[in-house]
Amino acid sequence: MTLEIDASEAVEKSTGGISKKGLSAGSVGLVGAVIIGISCIAPAYTLTGALGPTVAEVGLQLPAIFIAGFIPMLLVALGYRELNKAMPDSGTSFTWATRAFGPWVGWMAGWGLIAATVVVLSNLAGIAVDFFYLMLSQIFGNSAEIAGLAGNPFINVGTCLVFIFAATWISYRDMQTTQKLQYWLVGFQLVVLVGFGIMAFVHIANGSAFDPTPVSLSWFNPFAVSSFSAFAAGLSLSIFIFWGWDVTLTMSEETKGSRSTPGRAATLTVIIVMVLYLFVAIAAISFAGVGGVGVGLGNPEIQGNVFFALAGPALGPFAVLMSIAVLSSSAASLQSTFVSPARTLLAMGHYGALPPAYAKVSPRFFTPGYATIASAVVAAGFYTIMRFISEDVLWDTITTLGMMICFYYGLTAFAAVWYFRRQWFATVRNAFFTFVFPLLGGIILTVLFCTTLVDSMDPNYGSGSEVFGLGLVFVLGMAILLIGVVIMVVQSKVRPAFFRGETLSLAAPRYGEQDE
Amino acid sequence: MRFLVGYTATPAGADALALGVRLARSPGSELDIVLVLNGGERATLTPTDPGYDTFLLEAAAGWLAEALTLVPAGISVHTHLEHADSFTQGLLAAASRLQANLIVVGAATHGLLGRFAIGSVAGGLLHSSPVPVALAPEGTRLMGTHEPIGRVTCAVGTKPGANGLLTAGIRLARTVDAPLRLVSLVAIDRPGTDAQAIQLAADHAQSVLDYATEHLMDGLDVTASVASGSSVEHAVRGLHWDPSEVCLVGSSRLAQPHRLFLGSIAAKMLRELPVPLIVVPRDFTATVGE
Repeated sequence: MTLEIDASEAVEKSTGGISKKGLSAGSVGLVGAVIIGISCIAPAYTLTGALGPTVAEVGLQLPAIFIAGFIPMLLVALGYRELNKAMPDSGTSFTWATRAFGPWVGWMAGWGLIAATVVVLSNLAGIAVDFFYLMLSQIFGNSAEIAGLAGNPFINVGTCLVFIFAATWISYRDMQTTQKLQYWLVGFQLVVLVGFGIMAFVHIANGSAFDPTPVSLSWFNPFAVSSFSAFAAGLSLSIFIFWGWDVTLTMSEETKGSRSTPGRAATLTVIIVMVLYLFVAIAAISFAGVGGVGVGLGNPEIQGNVFFALAGPALGPFAVLMSIAVLSSSAASLQSTFVSPARTLLAMGHYGALPPAYAKVSPRFFTPGYATIASAVVAAGFYTIMRFISEDVLWDTITTLGMMICFYYGLTAFAAVWYFRRQWFATVRNAFFTFVFPLLGGIILTVLFCTTLVDSMDPNYGSGSEVFGLGLVFVLGMAILLIGVVIMVVQSKVRPAFFRGETLSLAAPRYGEQDE
Repeated sequence: MRFLVGYTATPAGADALALGVRLARSPGSELDIVLVLNGGERATLTPTDPGYDTFLLEAAAGWLAEALTLVPAGISVHTHLEHADSFTQGLLAAASRLQANLIVVGAATHGLLGRFAIGSVAGGLLHSSPVPVALAPEGTRLMGTHEPIGRVTCAVGTKPGANGLLTAGIRLARTVDAPLRLVSLVAIDRPGTDAQAIQLAADHAQSVLDYATEHLMDGLDVTASVASGSSVEHAVRGLHWDPSEVCLVGSSRLAQPHRLFLGSIAAKMLRELPVPLIVVPRDFTATVGE
């Protein structure tokens, strides 16, 4: 694939003749797409981070919430896919919301995406730190001293900064693992999680489980959750567990084989992940119960990182495998997650919504270098501050993350609905994919966002961290959004062109109409 | 001759481009500026994004356009965007497609010890290129693009491969219209008693000089000298180097036929040389008249 450009007309010819197929057409098969999907979801990391906070909200109805959490995710992802098809752009939510609703809303959608990914980066690195020291202690004869190092805030923050630095360096230099290694890592992760579930049931059968709790059908009944608040909070957490799945839907450009490959890959990925989540969740609850002591999933001490506590009792001598699985899963997820805030920042720089430095691409590694480093610095700063003000940093970041995802996914869903408003009823397919599905998804996420926001004002919300007599999660969420508003207003004074709609205009194409 | 510059929008890329332009200034020469982007064939943890790819292509076109502004008028120049798994693979593919006679790359940006540190790019090329590879040392760009090549030095030994090297040197000297200097490495190349070695080297230098004079029918200036010293480093430092010259060495005998492989002598020269080094593959088969 070559572009030959004449000296005299280099620019015109090259921009006119760009073929995006040159880069990534047909490079990923069905299995590859599923592997990338699972790798982005990072089930081992996700489960250890989300099981505890979700149990804290909904107790035994965890399986029901996991299933319910997929519905809004699916609805929004379908709208996301339509937008991605109509306007492929590395700014994703930022660009789409700007095209649909104008610069101000678009800016905030981009901000929400960046905030969510930065929060998850710090959470990922935090979990990796815990497991890093746990793994060391497991290797050196289960010394509690080494595992306890993760509890020292200075050592913890120091290690976390090292991890974030390493991930940044890898992303900046675009060092990629080979497909083979990726297959092994994902395979290993799945085997360990399934092994964990099987061992849990073996302990239950032997009577050696911590708090054997018989499986009951009511676990699958979402209406058995105590209150709507708890249901909403659980749901916003369980959206997080499927976050990343949407990439399989948008890989249509690069999957090889028939047109149905992306759809099949997305379906297969979600089936694998759903079965795995349900199996592990049921095994964990049956094994440890939802009690508030010991390794009970209701114990606030362990809820930010449950496998950290459960791996030993359930897996015995093989607990180190769980540490390796979570570590490798976090590492893979760190790498894939780093890309999205960096690319969004890049797009915002490109369209003049942020200083042009953000639009710089490294001429050696072809990555958004400046934006990558900027996201890393913010993630590191965020984690450091959180570690010192929060009682349970992992738990609080996951809850905040759920809220941020609801915010920007909700906006993206509405952007899909509004952008396609002139072609809703052009075909039956359009009616569902550009109107009904994203609209429903957007409404659900808005309700979740508002409910979580209101409930989290209570200082007892989530882990019980509070500042100024308000729940930490509420303060965090509001602070993140307000900082966004402030930066946006400053940018609108410094760089008004974007905010006048000069770089990225409103649009609502009719059916069959080519945008741009 | 056709010169291919492996370009990146970095100081090392500018070094390579500056050297490429200087080499390609003579009438009849052609310059190809090649930028290599990552191909999609490799597996990635990070899902590719068509939006970002488009953005990257725009940036690449911008870099190439910028590179063109550095090329003075009157040179026949083309830019190419290549997609490959690595910079090396992309350059080799482009070189074979365009039938380039020489590949120019920037040597490295961070040579802490010595002048050259072979970067991964140059290193990869030096181990696999079927055509000569020129390494532009850090700072070549500062000399500008108007300085003609002042001299072509050919460091010849008697080991197999020297003939192809000599041919390449003669051809390059004729192309850039510069005097040719032949330097015999025999004295350092072959351990022995001093007097014997020096006599051998002098004979060797004379014989290559004869060969060269025979082939430089159009009256190019050619001289011969013997590099002497206890080590390659010594010998290189002992020679006079004109800042505007280039130096050719042959690749190692360890290399596969038609492939470059930087031998130990060439590697040592690389560290000491203040001028661009051109490594010629063993049994490189271009003929003088070609």
